Amino acid sequence: MDNGKDLFHYDSLAFFGKVNASISHELKNVMAIISETAGLLGDLSDLASTGTPIKPDMLKSCTGSIMEEIQRGFLTIRQMNRFAHSVDTPIESVNLMDLLDLAINLTGYLSFSGKTYLTPCEDGVPTASTCPFLLQAIIYQALVYEFKTTGPGAAITISLRARGDAAWRIIFSGFNANAFQKFPDPTTSAMAAAIGVVFRFDSTIDRLELEVPLTIKSTTNQSVAPGI
Amino acid sequence: MEAENTINILLVDDEVKFLAAVSDRLTIKGFNVTTAANGDAAIEAAGKGGFDVAVVDLQMPGTDGAQVLKILKQKHEFIEIIMLTGHATVDSAVECTKLGAFKYLEKPYDFDKLIEVLKDAYHLRMQKKFENNAKRMDAIQKLSMGQSPLGILKALAKLDDGKK
Repeated sequence: MDNGKDLFHYDSLAFFGKVNASISHELKNVMAIISETAGLLGDLSDLASTGTPIKPDMLKSCTGSIMEEIQRGFLTIRQMNRFAHSVDTPIESVNLMDLLDLAINLTGYLSFSGKTYLTPCEDGVPTASTCPFLLQAIIYQALVYEFKTTGPGAAITISLRARGDAAWRIIFSGFNANAFQKFPDPTTSAMAAAIGVVFRFDSTIDRLELEVPLTIKSTTNQSVAPGI
Repeated sequence: MEAENTINILLVDDEVKFLAAVSDRLTIKGFNVTTAANGDAAIEAAGKGGFDVAVVDLQMPGTDGAQVLKILKQKHEFIEIIMLTGHATVDSAVECTKLGAFKYLEKPYDFDKLIEVLKDAYHLRMQKKFENNAKRMDAIQKLSMGQSPLGILKALAKLDDGKK
């Protein structure tokens, strides 16, 4: 077995596990709030049965909170489902806006996440034939390094621009120069090389750019196998 | 309400709805609860004193639960700390134990279990305080033997914990 490829496969699996762990953490928080709020309703019922007056607003607040958390749970499960299906086909035509939206949502489950804003694409429908799983992993890692470097006050704006007929450019505005000293790490670099993604950083305006080819075949002959 | 419970609790979690629900439930049970929605607010609240037990979420943005645990244990000798997490790992449990956490509970937990752990933590705190007081009383008694009045005063000042 090729050790390099084996490591690459393991890293992909590790990324899949890491993201799922953060999703399960989010779901546990949702369940904990529902559990405690339902418990509070029970406690209030017990008090009411002993003749203690209970304000109706308190009951409304509890049921409202439970409904909101159920919606949050559904939204989280939807993102989990999208992420799970990103490994269905190693290479496929993907809408990069959808892919960015998912990566941003997934990083939002990290306890140290900052704010990420996605601006609408003005250059048409941004599709590319690529490995969605690896591209997500690269975008996710870029945001992780930014959040870890800058802290909870981090604010990134992501935009997409066409670069001629050959590639799309994903632009991270407000990317900390110190984060770029660590990013991309060797694993992310290997993932990027596998799908022909090129990194550029402009330190004068704190801008990270990821150039994503319209199709993998035109830029690389390496096999793309997330190994999952 | 169960008026016999007067344990002062500092409850720390960045999930504000969780904080509100648990705080209300503990208050109904007769505990005196102060909430903090982040690590820095928790450290500031603890600085004002008066807490028997702190319940701290491990994963928070900014100053996280492990840092809060470390700082509270350094600054407040007798406070007992219960850590909460939605993401339990053996490593994080070991780290919290090394830093002096009384217990480590995984969310979502059984509320009755939390009450039980809170009471155990409070008992341990009181036991440590009594033991500490007993040691100081022993030391004071030993001082009164064979020393000049000024020597006794100086030695007593050394034993004073500084609390007014």
